[in-house]
Amino acid sequence: MVTKMRKREARKGLLISSTYLVYAAIFWGYPFIWLVILAFSRWRYVGTPRFAGFRNFLRILYDPIFWKSFFNVLNFLTYYIPIVLIFSLLFALALSKLKYGKTFVALSFLVANVSSGVAYSIMFSKLFAENGPLNQLVYRLFNTTIPWFTSPQLAMFSISLIVVWKFIGYYGLILYAGIISIPKSIYEAAELDGANKYVKFFKITLPLLNPSIVMVLVFAISLSFGIFTEPYMITGGGPMRSTLMPMMVMYTSAFQKLDPTYAATMSIFTAIFSFGIIWITRKLLEREVEIV
Amino acid sequence: MKKLLVFLFVIMFVFSFAKTKIVFWTAPNPNQEAYWKKLVAEYEQQHPDIDIEWTTIPAAGSSEEAILSAIASGRTPDICTNIFSGFAAQLIELDQLVELNKLPGFNDLIAARKMDSIIKGWNFMGKSYVLPIYSNPILMWWRKDILEKYGWKKPPRTYSDVYELSKQFVVPKEKYTMRVVAGRNWWDRWFDYITYYYAASEGKPYIDLKKYRAIYNNDAGIKVAKFFETMFKNGWTAVDLGNAPLYNGVILGSLKGPWEIPYAEKQFPKVLKNIEITPPIVPDNYPENKPIYTFADTKGLVIFKTSKHQKEAWDFVKWVFSNPENDKLWLEMTKMPPARSDLLTNDLFKEFFKNNPLAAQYAKYVGYAVPPALISKTVDVQDEMTVSLIEPIMYGKADAETAVKNSIKKINRIIW
Repeated sequence: MVTKMRKREARKGLLISSTYLVYAAIFWGYPFIWLVILAFSRWRYVGTPRFAGFRNFLRILYDPIFWKSFFNVLNFLTYYIPIVLIFSLLFALALSKLKYGKTFVALSFLVANVSSGVAYSIMFSKLFAENGPLNQLVYRLFNTTIPWFTSPQLAMFSISLIVVWKFIGYYGLILYAGIISIPKSIYEAAELDGANKYVKFFKITLPLLNPSIVMVLVFAISLSFGIFTEPYMITGGGPMRSTLMPMMVMYTSAFQKLDPTYAATMSIFTAIFSFGIIWITRKLLEREVEIV
Repeated sequence: MKKLLVFLFVIMFVFSFAKTKIVFWTAPNPNQEAYWKKLVAEYEQQHPDIDIEWTTIPAAGSSEEAILSAIASGRTPDICTNIFSGFAAQLIELDQLVELNKLPGFNDLIAARKMDSIIKGWNFMGKSYVLPIYSNPILMWWRKDILEKYGWKKPPRTYSDVYELSKQFVVPKEKYTMRVVAGRNWWDRWFDYITYYYAASEGKPYIDLKKYRAIYNNDAGIKVAKFFETMFKNGWTAVDLGNAPLYNGVILGSLKGPWEIPYAEKQFPKVLKNIEITPPIVPDNYPENKPIYTFADTKGLVIFKTSKHQKEAWDFVKWVFSNPENDKLWLEMTKMPPARSDLLTNDLFKEFFKNNPLAAQYAKYVGYAVPPALISKTVDVQDEMTVSLIEPIMYGKADAETAVKNSIKKINRIIW
């Protein structure tokens, strides 16, 4: 009797989950298999892909443009991670202190996250232009202008500022959820022991926020390897290829240079690096946090 | 038996009324759309057995992307316009295009349209796969009104003229003489270095298509690079000139194509009255009596090999392009010079050019407008030009000669 029921339950479960399985097979499994086939082939949109062994993988090893884009991601991460983490944390802390209008403030920050990448890229490119309003103000005040997007050194920093603007609200809410889940009793106990606000922040809030911070870091790293719209729209990868990102190299390879198999191989490399950096980050920073 | 007869009758009936369907894609541009819509309707009316399924190239990142997706998924159109030379070369390498010069009446059509010199720029190993539709010479636009204030009755012609004007006009961080670099996209090289190179070298190629080598490391190529260097070093031009700098009076001159005329007519009609169009500026020793060549932003039409109705497709193409009235209509609707070199001598176009003097200036240079090198690696080559030639000069990372030398070396590695 019990076995029959179990079987019936299992069948029901399979039936319900089958929708997802079919969905995953079509939209994840099929493209994934196609990606692997492409990576080991030579194909230029016409005819049947021809097996090419590790040719595409070897090409990547000697491709300075791909490696430039890879190091650009690391450059982007060095600006993006600290800035976005600090500002998201400040936003989360400020939100937790607010007595009124929390939803309004949170939603106001989230607007940036849901805005069209193309639209705000155009807006920022005008705002930060050599003769744009921001530089006009700087010129009036200091008699100089800042080459936001035209200096090879500054361009990546400027783009990371724009991406920070987009994600403060989103990451801030994740951190805010972490902050409000910390029981007040822990702070009260610390206060009784004479802890000041700095001690409370560094010894209680930050350690207990570890899961949320690691989650934000994972999101930020995977975003960095997939960034496309902002550099494509604003700098086109320049100046001097300083903002060229892997996604842009893949896009031009596949659709402008008619080389989709090489682009597919690059995407596999990029995914491996992205997962690798996430894995290292988690190994280094993730701690078991138990709030009793 | 009776059933079989009825079946055969139905089949014959269906086939006798079936139309030949030709899929035709054109550039997603409102003026061109209006033109093709009218012509397709007219053709269908005259040829009831032909059904032209006309659409603009489907929305995608670029026309090339849409066409490639169509090829990969087996939905290639029969005829497609908006094909630039580099993409055509890629399609030829993929063996996707019909060799037009083998089709009946091709040579007659070229002769009738006076396209002999234009078609040469599109020849790929001596064969014609693309029928150029329009040829947009790239010319200089100057602010006549401001130039006159500074005592210039004629716009600058040579590099030294530009330097002279710069000393008079430029205010650092506020006003610059002209736009020198068009942008950092690969196609921007068509509208800066390549245009100036054609002008300085009397239209000589920058890539030797027989040896597959970049060859702009000559006197003309270095002079153009030195001009760029001088302009950036002295702050007479800038990387970013802001929004509509020519119309806002931030710069006095810029290279532009004829598509700018309808835009300016709508957006800046007052400024347009004060625009004077000249050929691109040239090195100081360029003889005054010699014609100045320029770059031709030209797009063509192709017939795909996958087409089951190549004959019908070619008949339609011939019908469109053998009637000069259609070229007149094209001119009126798009303001872009059709790819024919008799624009200023053919009576049919006289009235249009009389009423449109700026467009007439463009027509004058169609014969001197040279298309880009017909190579399949256009994107790689021009991207390398940006990174190894233009940007090092712009940012003062290399002198002109070194930048030319480095870029030649790197481009040869790509195309060799």
